[in-house]
Amino acid sequence: MALFQVLVVDDEEEFRDMTIKRLSKRDIQAEGAESGEQALERIKRNDIDVVLLDVKMPGMGGVEALRQIKQAQPLIEVVMLTGHASVESGIDGMKLGAFDYLMKPMEFESLLEKLSEAYERKRIQQDKIERAQIQRDMFLPG
Amino acid sequence: MDKRKYYSRLRRGLTSAFFIFTLVPTLLVSMVMLYNFRECAIEKITTSEARMAEDRNDAISQYLNQQIVLLSTLAGMYPLKIMGDQDHLDQLFKSVNERGDVVDLHVIDSAGTQLAYDGPYRSSYRGQNYKDAPWFKEAFVAGQHVSDVFMGYRNVPHVVVAVTDPLKTYLLRATINSEKFNALLLWAQTSPNGDAYIVNRHGEFQTPSLQGATSLDTVEKTLLKYHKGTATWTIGSFRYTTRWMKEGQWLLVIKSKISDTMGTFDVRRDNSLIIIAISIVIVLSLAVSLCHYMVRRLEQSDRRQADVDQQMVQVEKMAGIGRLAAGIAHEINNPLQMITNQAGWIEELLPDEDPNALKNLGEYQEAVTKIKYHVKRAGLITHRLLGFSRRMSAEKEFVSVNDLLEETVSFIENEAATHNIIIERLLDQNLPTTMTDGPQLQQVFLNLLNNCLDAVDHDGRISVNTKADNTAIFIEFSDSGPGISPEVMKQIFDPFFTTKDPGKGTGLGMSICYDIMKKLGGTIEVKNGKTGGAIFTLMLPLIKLGESG
Repeated sequence: MALFQVLVVDDEEEFRDMTIKRLSKRDIQAEGAESGEQALERIKRNDIDVVLLDVKMPGMGGVEALRQIKQAQPLIEVVMLTGHASVESGIDGMKLGAFDYLMKPMEFESLLEKLSEAYERKRIQQDKIERAQIQRDMFLPG
Repeated sequence: MDKRKYYSRLRRGLTSAFFIFTLVPTLLVSMVMLYNFRECAIEKITTSEARMAEDRNDAISQYLNQQIVLLSTLAGMYPLKIMGDQDHLDQLFKSVNERGDVVDLHVIDSAGTQLAYDGPYRSSYRGQNYKDAPWFKEAFVAGQHVSDVFMGYRNVPHVVVAVTDPLKTYLLRATINSEKFNALLLWAQTSPNGDAYIVNRHGEFQTPSLQGATSLDTVEKTLLKYHKGTATWTIGSFRYTTRWMKEGQWLLVIKSKISDTMGTFDVRRDNSLIIIAISIVIVLSLAVSLCHYMVRRLEQSDRRQADVDQQMVQVEKMAGIGRLAAGIAHEINNPLQMITNQAGWIEELLPDEDPNALKNLGEYQEAVTKIKYHVKRAGLITHRLLGFSRRMSAEKEFVSVNDLLEETVSFIENEAATHNIIIERLLDQNLPTTMTDGPQLQQVFLNLLNNCLDAVDHDGRISVNTKADNTAIFIEFSDSGPGISPEVMKQIFDPFFTTKDPGKGTGLGMSICYDIMKKLGGTIEVKNGKTGGAIFTLMLPLIKLGESG
């Protein structure tokens, strides 16, 4: 059983495939999308926990994709990937609700840590929702 | 080389312009004034000579009149019968001759017969009849006559004065020694080369020329035209003042050499010329030095401008290099990422291998570890490069000064170690965080640390301290270098000021630190430490979130 589901969104194929491979070895179910549009399609299946989103992508671009993901599924946690020059975008992303950002080049361990933290937050939030639902059901019988 | 020619040309041009513009008007004015003064002087002399002529005319005329009056009186007193008596004449002559002017006395009747004579020419006059002599007729008609001067007895000049008695019955004639009025003319000699004489209508000298001339030259003969009053003529280098006298019979001529009479004027003129010359020399030398000075200043300011321009070019170059470096660093980050990914993947997969099957498993693992380590290093370098060249934005964030310091120190630690320089840190662990621009502050730290490294050069110590009070954080950088001299300290934060060789420093490091600290609301100060070496102290105001800063 996978620990959690990650969607790796990056226009660089090699990076995408490597990240997916390595995450899989650590028992994290990972899939890839090569653009913001593809990512939005993929999350419709409601089974993604964390999105790893590259900020600099052709077409939609990272920040826009983030906005739309958050709009479509607010509970999905997003970790941004920035280059040095795009730190601004990382900060913008956090203002838009991204969990955090990582600067390339980064160690795999740091990535793992960040993704786990992000998933942790989602899980806690989802637990809270479930509990609230149960509470509501308890007080309103029928 | 080109510049030098330009400047010397400029100097020469300016100096020549000054020359012309000072000399020309000065000379012009001087010439005009001197000419006018000369004319004035000449006028004055002319006037005085004319007056002299008038005056001498008066004197001589008066003298002649005296003789005429004397004779007229005598003629009026005695009628023909008495005057014609020789003995009577002898008596008359004796008393009249006392003064020595009257040389002889003649009594002639209206028929021209000599009645009596007294004087030295007795023998030559005996039995003469003057009836036909022109002067005789003239005398009887006019009632008086004055002759021209003639050489007489002992080569003494004589003049004959004749008057008739009121009834015109006889003529009383006296020969006058004209040396008297020759003497009167001596006064009229205005200069050593000058002359004063009387000539008759035909140009014959009546008084001797004081210069010994025996006759008038052709030029002077042109003066013999009758004119009223006194006239002045300038002929060649002489000036003639003429006055007709004795009813147009005689011409009084005063002749002066113009150059002689201009004596005082010439002296004054020469003095003026000397003064003018001196002033011109002074003005010109002032002008020349002024030109030299101006051009030199121009040269200096041009050179300073060139220096500044050069430094600006340098700055631009540095900025360009910075941008280039940033671009490269950015590009490099991508492959670095890929390398680290692949190496990491290998690392992950290696534990799955069977050590017995894979002989060099240990080597692979070690190699991979090293690859990852070096990629990390490369990443730090590009990180630093990009951070350094990032444009100064006013982004504020919460900054831990100690962490920032540690990071900056790490950048230069290797270099310090190579030069055997120890870096001490005395960081206040309770240092509060503050809202400020981290990257810019880091640039200040980096500049100061590099400065310390340069100052120490090798074998020394750099120490970094932090502390804080309620309002501000203080960061101190001190080194064991030679310290900073007071002159340098005054200029150390000036832009483009550097103590390094040209080309080795833009002189901008410290001034950038100063600007940044100012922008962050803080200060930077420098002083020399008690044990030698320099101490730079930064003050950063404590700003919490929500406070304006």
